[in-house]
Amino acid sequence: MNQETPQKKRPLSQNGRIFYLVPLAAALIPFFANDYLQFIVNMIMVYVLVTVGFNLVIGNLGQLAFANTAFFGIGAYMTAILMTYAGFTYELALVGAAISGGLAGLLASVTALRGIRLYYLAIITLAFGELMRWVYIHAEPVTMGTDGLPLPDVTVFGMSMHSETAKFYVFLLITVLVVKGTSNLLKSRVGRAILAIRDNELTTASLGISTANYIILTFVWSGSVVGIAGAMFAASTERVFPESFGLTEVIVHFAMVMVGGAGSLIGSVIGGVVLTALPEYFRQFPGMEELFFGAIIIAVLLFLPKGLVSLLAKVSPLFRERYFRE
Amino acid sequence: MSGLLNLSGVSVHFSGLKALTDVSFSANAGEVTALIGPNGAGKTTLFNVVSGYVQPTAGEIHFKGEAIQGLTPHEVSEKGVRRTFQNGGLFGDMTVLENILTGLHVQINSNFWGLLFGTRKADEAERAAAARARRLLALMDMDGFADQQVKSLSGGQQRMVEIVRTIATEPPLLLLDEPAVGLSPPMRARMMEVIKRLAGEEGISILLIEHAIDLVMAGSDRIIVLNSGQKIAEGKPAEIRENREVLEAYLGYA
Ligand SMILES: Nc1ncnc2c1ncn2[C@@H]1O[C@H](COP(=O)(O)OP(=O)(O)OP(=O)(O)O)[C@@H](O)[C@H]1O
Ligand SMILES: [Mg+2]
Repeated sequence: MNQETPQKKRPLSQNGRIFYLVPLAAALIPFFANDYLQFIVNMIMVYVLVTVGFNLVIGNLGQLAFANTAFFGIGAYMTAILMTYAGFTYELALVGAAISGGLAGLLASVTALRGIRLYYLAIITLAFGELMRWVYIHAEPVTMGTDGLPLPDVTVFGMSMHSETAKFYVFLLITVLVVKGTSNLLKSRVGRAILAIRDNELTTASLGISTANYIILTFVWSGSVVGIAGAMFAASTERVFPESFGLTEVIVHFAMVMVGGAGSLIGSVIGGVVLTALPEYFRQFPGMEELFFGAIIIAVLLFLPKGLVSLLAKVSPLFRERYFRE
Repeated sequence: MSGLLNLSGVSVHFSGLKALTDVSFSANAGEVTALIGPNGAGKTTLFNVVSGYVQPTAGEIHFKGEAIQGLTPHEVSEKGVRRTFQNGGLFGDMTVLENILTGLHVQINSNFWGLLFGTRKADEAERAAAARARRLLALMDMDGFADQQVKSLSGGQQRMVEIVRTIATEPPLLLLDEPAVGLSPPMRARMMEVIKRLAGEEGISILLIEHAIDLVMAGSDRIIVLNSGQKIAEGKPAEIRENREVLEAYLGYA
């Protein structure tokens, strides 16, 4: 059937290149930032990946699955456990975190596949997160319970990753690779299939597309990305506590998705950056942190239902993603 | 069982309502088979039962000699029976081109890792698909709309896009539910022309639901007439035109 050759080499996205400037510019941050600021910047990258992963399920696939803190916690604990008990190096533990996050995603996808949707899916996946927190607290011999599990010295390919600057460059590399890979997937037939399922699952199936496979794929990819974020979080805090993965955390993740823009990869990056950096800034005004957090979520949901990215899309076509509609 | 698609004794009851009763017929390969009948006759229900959206209360459906009743829509679609929907099944968040590309999905030759790493091979597969999608749109003079949001198109244009998208899947059997509804007369004629050409040149067999009797008479090889869930006649257009029962039940008003 396919004797046809592509006629014109029309690039699929003409404007994407300019986004490479973002990590290039970011690479200069350690020359200006003190340790505290550098720590915040590192956390920003953790939360960018948290949001990128979560948005795939919430925004792109359109499923109300809130297992994100489970993926995040499993990634973080897996990293600490593999390094402490199995003597894994950080780079290997990172792979372990990605795989276990992916497996947790697979588990979460089973609920959606069994026709459990909407509120039921939301409650079950929230329960999954809480169940995992219970496990972190009670699997004391392994996780050291509420005392938290410290990470051994974090090294990458034999080099110490103890300084914030060293962590920064490792995180930057991981973040760029994961965001670029996710962008590639979303622009391709995979991204279209996921969006088609969100739009109309039955029609998608009528085109011969295996909707079940793509629902599983989205959850697994989401779980892996957030698992990787968990591994970065563990390296950043150097000790993992059950309390980092509770219900408030999932609200923060959800806010990042919505404030950035559900269904938009650029929105995920924006949401992760803004909602990690700004609360930190407001910390100098005691009591303002929570107030600010609540206010920005309400303001964005009321006045910018498609998130901050929709504001940018009005200003420049650069922010108009192929499969995101303002 | 001679045809590409064979129905024998198919009944569909919806809690007491007999939407289809004991319907048997065959659709032959390479032909346009038209399904006509008044509103509520059970035509769409017949499509639903063939494509797996509704389970038959009784009867058997064979496609290429294989029983397909009881399969899921996706399984039926994988066997090669594809359909369009009476009330539009386009993906509203996509452009026209992206809708067609979604129809081409299974033919795009790329795997997960190639797509993830953005390999040249995966890129080229995407580009080749986009080029093919544009050519398919040109079949219906729709190539000028490729980059528009489907929401900005008229109802008739959306129908064209949906048909192109289904054709893109290269189905052995295509089920078209009232494809010409809402089209202007020249577009309707063009639609019929394309349907005939699909059957003739591309080897796609077609089962067509259509109210416009002139289009059906001119464009189909065989006609099945349904009334109140029952088959009341079947034959070549010329035979149907002469059939008393059909004239009374359906064409009688003319
Ligand atoms: N899912 C369903 N549940 C209950 N009744 C149904 C269902 N689908 C169809 N029906 C009924 O079955 C009968 C046949 O409907 P169908 O849609 O097949 O008619 P049709 O021939 O396609 O009509 P039209 O020309 O108006 O599209 C109608 O009385 C309809 O109300
Ligand atoms: Mg109908």
